[in-house]
Amino acid sequence: MRILIALPDITNIETTLNFASQFSRNKSISFEVLVITDKKHLPQNNLIHQQIDRILDRPMVNLILRVGNPIREIIDEVLQGKFDFLILNDFHPSLLNNLKLHPDTISEVVVKCPCSVFIIKGDAREVKRILLCDSGAENPILSRFVLQLADLLGGEEEVTVLHVMSQISAGPGVRGKQLRADANELIQDGAPEGKLLQEDMQILCCPGIHPTAKVRHGLVLDEILAEARQGNYDLVVIGAHREHGWQRFLLEDLDKNIIDAMDRPVLVVK
Amino acid sequence: MFYLFNLGLNYNYISMPYTPLDSKDPPALNLDSPLEEFPTPLLIPTQKAIPWSKRLLPSWSALGKVSLFFFSLYLFILAISLMKEGAHGLSSLVQDTLKVNNAANALGFGWAMAYMIMSGSPVAATALTFFNAGLINQIQAFAMITGSRLGASFIVLFIGFIYILRGRDRTTSLGMGLLSLSVTATTYIPALILGALLLHYGILDHVQLSSGVVLHSIVDTAILPITDLVLVYIPIWGVFLLGLMIILLSFNLFDRCLPKMSLKESPMGWMSRLVYRPIVMFLLGSAVTLISMSVSVSLSILVPLSNRGFVRRENVIPYIMGAGITTFIDTMLAAVLLDNPSGFTVVFVEMFSVSIISLLILILSYSRYRRVLLKFVVLVTSTNRNLTIFMISILAIPILLLLM
Repeated sequence: MRILIALPDITNIETTLNFASQFSRNKSISFEVLVITDKKHLPQNNLIHQQIDRILDRPMVNLILRVGNPIREIIDEVLQGKFDFLILNDFHPSLLNNLKLHPDTISEVVVKCPCSVFIIKGDAREVKRILLCDSGAENPILSRFVLQLADLLGGEEEVTVLHVMSQISAGPGVRGKQLRADANELIQDGAPEGKLLQEDMQILCCPGIHPTAKVRHGLVLDEILAEARQGNYDLVVIGAHREHGWQRFLLEDLDKNIIDAMDRPVLVVK
Repeated sequence: MFYLFNLGLNYNYISMPYTPLDSKDPPALNLDSPLEEFPTPLLIPTQKAIPWSKRLLPSWSALGKVSLFFFSLYLFILAISLMKEGAHGLSSLVQDTLKVNNAANALGFGWAMAYMIMSGSPVAATALTFFNAGLINQIQAFAMITGSRLGASFIVLFIGFIYILRGRDRTTSLGMGLLSLSVTATTYIPALILGALLLHYGILDHVQLSSGVVLHSIVDTAILPITDLVLVYIPIWGVFLLGLMIILLSFNLFDRCLPKMSLKESPMGWMSRLVYRPIVMFLLGSAVTLISMSVSVSLSILVPLSNRGFVRRENVIPYIMGAGITTFIDTMLAAVLLDNPSGFTVVFVEMFSVSIISLLILILSYSRYRRVLLKFVVLVTSTNRNLTIFMISILAIPILLLLM
């Protein structure tokens, strides 16, 4: 398994490397580190190498230094290196850059990247509690998540599968029991959301994973953010739902909204 | 037996029993029957596979609906003509008894009248006929039309309240009604101020449309003989009442012409499963309501495939906003039929100002607006006390305005 750690913001290297270090225990995983900078702020290779060696505890990690557009450089590297994961630190392009070229830099990388992407935000800790958001859309993220993370995370993880019901009744005569029901009630009732969660629980029945199903009622974005904060999760997992063609202009980009608003690491599973 | 309830925003009718294809007699809506008799109020009939060859041929049902459409349109024109003539006989009622002489009490009058006849569009048409007869001025007509929409959006809430009295859950029964009322109030009341300014300074006075020669000749040939006959035999105030009853009937018939765009019948049913950009839902709500002229019919396409009668919070608010603008299309038609260019300006200003306010909300503070509205719905339905206070307020406000 190959992981690319992309560091477009060299002032924030340590948090990202610390997050990546938990995967370095698995010796079958190889790392490459990509530092992107501009000509004015060329970093000292030796210092970065020292940090990588110290934090990742791996000798001879390949360090690539690039000058240029972060999006282009990261995507080029991912495509050339055929990586399985990209770990990207949260970065804020300069205002001028932001206005002119890259209004949604991280989202742009996530959209263009062919592999799953970790976005390191906030206080990155060892992943023990995972919030997995399942919208119930086609091509569910769960099986992909299990396949990809089984190798990556070796310990005992608590995984909460969250489904947000944002619906309200469309008229006065509607029976709205399911609009207030929790996960267990929906599963017992055989509601579509209950069936989805039940299937999720079956998929997650793997050694080392302790799954829980949860349903929240409200606006999708608000409820995901609230659950992440209240549950103090170490990682929030979402599926890459970015639509293509005309749907891109019609549908709300929930992935982008979640990434922008989240205060902790996010994994976008592809 | 299937019942398709009004989904919440149609100002022309309260609820409409849905008749399955194999039923000959439409079921009557019996509110006295136990609620258990309505197992799934938004049940959607299973669609039967129809060969394309048969779909292309106009069925008797389709022809019947087209005929019904033209008949309801004829009744609408007749009603407007009768109300136009009859409005002259109501000057003492409007000006002396009810004392509708300023924008505030015109707003209250339109609001309260919509409560009484449980519909908004006839009240908006009434405002135009009063304006045409010189009983109220342009700004008062504008305020009365605004009041008609506020009153009409209460109707769904009222139905929900009946469900609560019969033991149903508060939030489920009132959610959509409260949301539609909240969206209407928060867009129409600021639009009332904006529109009043536009009318006061005459900024949009050049936007006028009168009925053309063809429409004139149709009215002269097909409507005037009946109107003249009615004027001979019925007192002038009775002519207005007759017109009001006919316009209610015409809206009712018009609703029956519309296809039931419930999910399994609608190719757009899949839309309800996704979260759309607000502006997309806004435009969609406007477009569908423009065609259907009925907010409830346009809203029904949002009901999810699960037949459970749910809509997404994210989608519904901008959709209601959009629908709240183009629902004025029948009022605009009434203005053209009255051949009163200034009346047309009033309706145009109404649509324009509601559009501006809605777009400003969508562009500048939609997330916050949506949260506030949803919190308000939760607050009102959280306790019986809150609900009672709200219901009393919403009934008292138009009466207080009318007394101003």
